[in-house]
Amino acid sequence: MSNPRLGMPHLGFGVGLRTTHFPYLLRNEARVDWFEIISENFMDSQGRPRHVLDQLAERYRFVMHGVSLSVGSSDPLNFDYLRKLKRLADEIRAVWVSDHLCWTGVAGINTHDLLPMPLNEESLQHVIERVNIVQDCLERPLVLENPSSYVTFAASTMPEWEFLTRLTEETDCGLLLDVNNVYVSSVNHDFDPAEYIRGVPADRVVQFHLAGHTNCGTHLIDTHDGPVIDPVWELYRLAHRLTGGVATLLEWDARIPEFPVLEHEIQKARQVTDGVATLDFEADELTDARTGHSPVPQPAVYVTAEVE
Amino acid sequence: MSPSSHSLSTIQSWMQAVIRHPEGVEAGVADEAAQAAIPLSLPDIERVITRSRSLDSIHRLRIYSNAYFARLLEVLSGEFPALAHTLGDELFAEFAAGYLQQHPSQSYTLAELVVKLPEHLAATRPERESTDPDWADFLIDLATLERIYSEVFDGSGVESVTVWRGTDLDPTTPDRWAEGHLVFAPCVRLVTLRFPVHEYITAVRRKEAPEMPAPSPTYLVVSRRDYVVRRVPVPLTEFRVLSELFQRKSIAEALAHVWSADVPTTDVQRSAQQVHDWFRSWTAAGYFVEWIPAPFVPEQLPDALAHGVPRDAR
Repeated sequence: MSNPRLGMPHLGFGVGLRTTHFPYLLRNEARVDWFEIISENFMDSQGRPRHVLDQLAERYRFVMHGVSLSVGSSDPLNFDYLRKLKRLADEIRAVWVSDHLCWTGVAGINTHDLLPMPLNEESLQHVIERVNIVQDCLERPLVLENPSSYVTFAASTMPEWEFLTRLTEETDCGLLLDVNNVYVSSVNHDFDPAEYIRGVPADRVVQFHLAGHTNCGTHLIDTHDGPVIDPVWELYRLAHRLTGGVATLLEWDARIPEFPVLEHEIQKARQVTDGVATLDFEADELTDARTGHSPVPQPAVYVTAEVE
Repeated sequence: MSPSSHSLSTIQSWMQAVIRHPEGVEAGVADEAAQAAIPLSLPDIERVITRSRSLDSIHRLRIYSNAYFARLLEVLSGEFPALAHTLGDELFAEFAAGYLQQHPSQSYTLAELVVKLPEHLAATRPERESTDPDWADFLIDLATLERIYSEVFDGSGVESVTVWRGTDLDPTTPDRWAEGHLVFAPCVRLVTLRFPVHEYITAVRRKEAPEMPAPSPTYLVVSRRDYVVRRVPVPLTEFRVLSELFQRKSIAEALAHVWSADVPTTDVQRSAQQVHDWFRSWTAAGYFVEWIPAPFVPEQLPDALAHGVPRDAR
């Protein structure tokens, strides 16, 4: 293994920072090692979200995770967005900046979804060129996440893990390996998730994501609204073994429970990497029938005003 | 054309047109925008989107189509909870779909998505049957105030600067004081409404089920303190003075203008007390960041305070 994690630190075990937990975190010491923020929720904030972030950044290490870079779009890159992204990263001393291998819109429109790309030579060259530009603007490596996806394209000529491998080779970018996304996409697209995990370059993986999803019978949706299920823990254990261990983050973005529930869930990851757990956490997989609503794939994170 | 010969930009234009179509994927595939990118009939859709073992191409695309509307509807109902409560789920969803078609997000941030909703509501309101404020006016007032709450909540505030408390004035030179101007805090908004929707919105946020209030001209000062949005209803005379001050009038001009119109038989002593009480409550609430002695020259403002001047005052 050449330079594990691109030389970036192993931050330990963290969770996504969500506004609903602000009061708890301002009063209590969190039993997590670090936090990840949704970049777009703080880039323009001059109110309470940014104020709380600044306070917490004094106590914890932060990573920025974006949803609007749209690195795969055929629209031009938004340099105003990149400038703001860099400014926030500098101000909160973000350990790294990540986004997704996806596009969010074209013709000036943002669908606010993480849309999949046809995986072929044209797309690869397009993304390589743009990742290089983004890294120049940010003056740091970009870390890209594999998204959950629900369609595949006739125009694709290679599996996602090959696309990511070649991308990291050409750009020196890092990978955020979302283990739950691998599982979700493997069910949706009929591939072996372990082959995917073995297929990505382990030494380029900087971070793992873990989350819950919803089983809709014919497909899975990445809803981030429940605990991680055992097959995903199994994949996580494999990924941990192959990489030697990297920063691990739990995402929980809908039907968000009290903060201690998140602390408890991320402790399971610590147990898995310590070899303590026998992988029988037995969290029930959520189904759309059980949750009683139509599942909405992430991201769906938005901050609402507090009025007195 | 072979399946793999579509360029990245062609596929993206096609997919976006399909998943954003308000009548669903089938209508999206047939729509002009999608056909312009990839001329395709439904049975041929696998030339672009492949099927899985469990789902055909149409059903797979529907996941994105449903998510597009559901996600943005969730954002809109989170931003306008009282409007959503009033319209009910079905009507709000229908209205939101129309809004999203006419004003799709064109920004990296969801905060921008909601900006034009009050004006969209006003532009699409049913024809007025009388001059009295009606149901549509109530909805527009709701959306206007909920939008202002969000803008003030996450916009520029005064938590990290010293607000003006009036303690630096020399009480021996009241004329000089009155000739000066006040610079409002950037988080202050003066809002005129046709209904007392502030109380209605508060009730909805408390999970109550308020009745639509009767129309009543309402004057609010919306501001922010300690990162929480505050709204204070004020009488018309007080609101007019604040509005004059907001429009760069000197304190003397603002008071004279209002009193000449509203208080023809001035009880001088009572009015002086009133002015004193107003300024005490305004400064306590932190509405101002600076008092600028006459003559008012915007370029004299320190940089740190320049952002506090209403945009059209610079």
